[in-house]
Amino acid sequence: MTAHLTFTNVTKRFGAVEVVATPFNLAIARNEFVVFLGPSGCGKTTLMRMIGGLDTPSTGDIRLDGAPVGGPDWRRGMVFQSYSSFPWLTVAENVAFGMRYRTDLSEEEKLGRRDHYLDLVGLYEFSDTYPNRVSGGMRQRIAIARTLAAGSDVLLMDEPFGALDAQRREQLQGELRRIQRRDAKTVVFVTHDVEEAAFLADRVIVFSKRPARIMAEIDVRARLGEDRTLEMRDGADFFALRNEMLRLVRASAGEEP
Amino acid sequence: MSEPAASSSPPARAGGESGTPSVVARAAGGFALRDLFRLRAPLPRSVSAALAVGASVLVLAVWEGVARLGLTSPLFFPAPSAILAAMGRMFADQHLAWNAWVSILRVWSAFLLAAVMAIPIGIMMSAYRAIGAALEPIIDFIRYLPVPALVPLSIIWFGVGEETKIFLLWLGTFFQLVLLVSDDMRRVPQEYIEIAYTVGAKPGQVLKDVAFRAMLPGLVDNLRITLGWCWTYLIIAEIVAADSGLGFVIWAARRYMKTPEVMAGVFLIGIIGLLTDQLLRAVHRRAFRYL
Repeated sequence: MTAHLTFTNVTKRFGAVEVVATPFNLAIARNEFVVFLGPSGCGKTTLMRMIGGLDTPSTGDIRLDGAPVGGPDWRRGMVFQSYSSFPWLTVAENVAFGMRYRTDLSEEEKLGRRDHYLDLVGLYEFSDTYPNRVSGGMRQRIAIARTLAAGSDVLLMDEPFGALDAQRREQLQGELRRIQRRDAKTVVFVTHDVEEAAFLADRVIVFSKRPARIMAEIDVRARLGEDRTLEMRDGADFFALRNEMLRLVRASAGEEP
Repeated sequence: MSEPAASSSPPARAGGESGTPSVVARAAGGFALRDLFRLRAPLPRSVSAALAVGASVLVLAVWEGVARLGLTSPLFFPAPSAILAAMGRMFADQHLAWNAWVSILRVWSAFLLAAVMAIPIGIMMSAYRAIGAALEPIIDFIRYLPVPALVPLSIIWFGVGEETKIFLLWLGTFFQLVLLVSDDMRRVPQEYIEIAYTVGAKPGQVLKDVAFRAMLPGLVDNLRITLGWCWTYLIIAEIVAADSGLGFVIWAARRYMKTPEVMAGVFLIGIIGLLTDQLLRAVHRRAFRYL
């Protein structure tokens, strides 16, 4: 298993605020689905943003395939919780926007990829619709399709399903996990929802309150296997794992820094 | 992969509580009177238009009635019909249309000049904090200077020709507009900017393709509002130093106590303003259908 992404002794401060004080070390394998789980404001999002090149470490370095990450580019795609698609572009145009600045693809290739990913996330029939005319779940799928169409092999997701209702969230989680297996993507997914973490992850990193440090690492793949199904969510293994993680999160949220 | 079909339909924007009697009544084609007085209840287009026209007609009718009954002196408060008649005379033999045209040209040239300067500067002020930090105090200072107080200075600088009028109008709008544009830019969600960066856009492309596009609806609205202010300053400029334009017409009529003519001039400005505003609103609706 080769490391796709590595954090080496990373710390981060914004002015006087220490976001990551203890040097942070983590290796993420290619095609691994890693969930950063922790209380709100703990610094997990900042760590993820640093992978995307949207923030830079104060010390230490982050490497992608062995090379230090610089500024943002299309190889690391980002899906936000809100404002995740552009309201002035149609659904199809939003997806195509992921490839807008790529010069290595021909126009036909771009159209082909656009339609492929629209179809993959089930939005093909809404191609010419504007995002304000579709549901919140569909808007998040637009963002996922855009990131996939961009060709990113690292998907950075910041509570992308946070604003959705429970049913739609479960459904999108299933889709995301399936796409990630099929297209072999490395995913770093930030959430504070324990069940979401247990369902999606190969590995869950549980964070302390800010300044962020690793409280626990849970190898979910060893417990639940690779394939995740809705039925599995009702099983005893899932329930036990969920409870275990919930206790860890409670402990980390309650702990004084 | 598919959500229930119902979820694909847009969320009901208004009047969401289906099943309430008023909704049922409307579905049956009726519009219940009590709907008018439900908090933030939706208003059908036809009812809205009827109310808009009806209220204006009512005001004019009351005014006309009061004047006809002799409750006001025609010298001070002429009837709408007298104002209309005066406007007719002025169109026929006092070049009112030409004077209005002169005013419109002045307003638009100053407005466009202000916009062309304010849009890039305003955008830069928010795009680069350093530019904003440097310019904001200066702009805020000038923004609070009352334009009429600068008329004498303007005349010293530019004389009494067109330059003075354009300068005064520009002065009244540019500094306000810069800050409004800067605000529009600042309000563009950071997520949009970061999405653009993470698909490989360069800073210039982020500004042009995303930030500018995102702020455009707000910008057009602010331009529409600022255009209205131009008329305020225009009248000041034309009263002080002009031999043409609606301000001049109004001021000249005042000298002979021709109140209907004064009011006709004022009315015409209101009408031009109303029409321009409606036009720009229509453009906004058309251009930003996605909102």
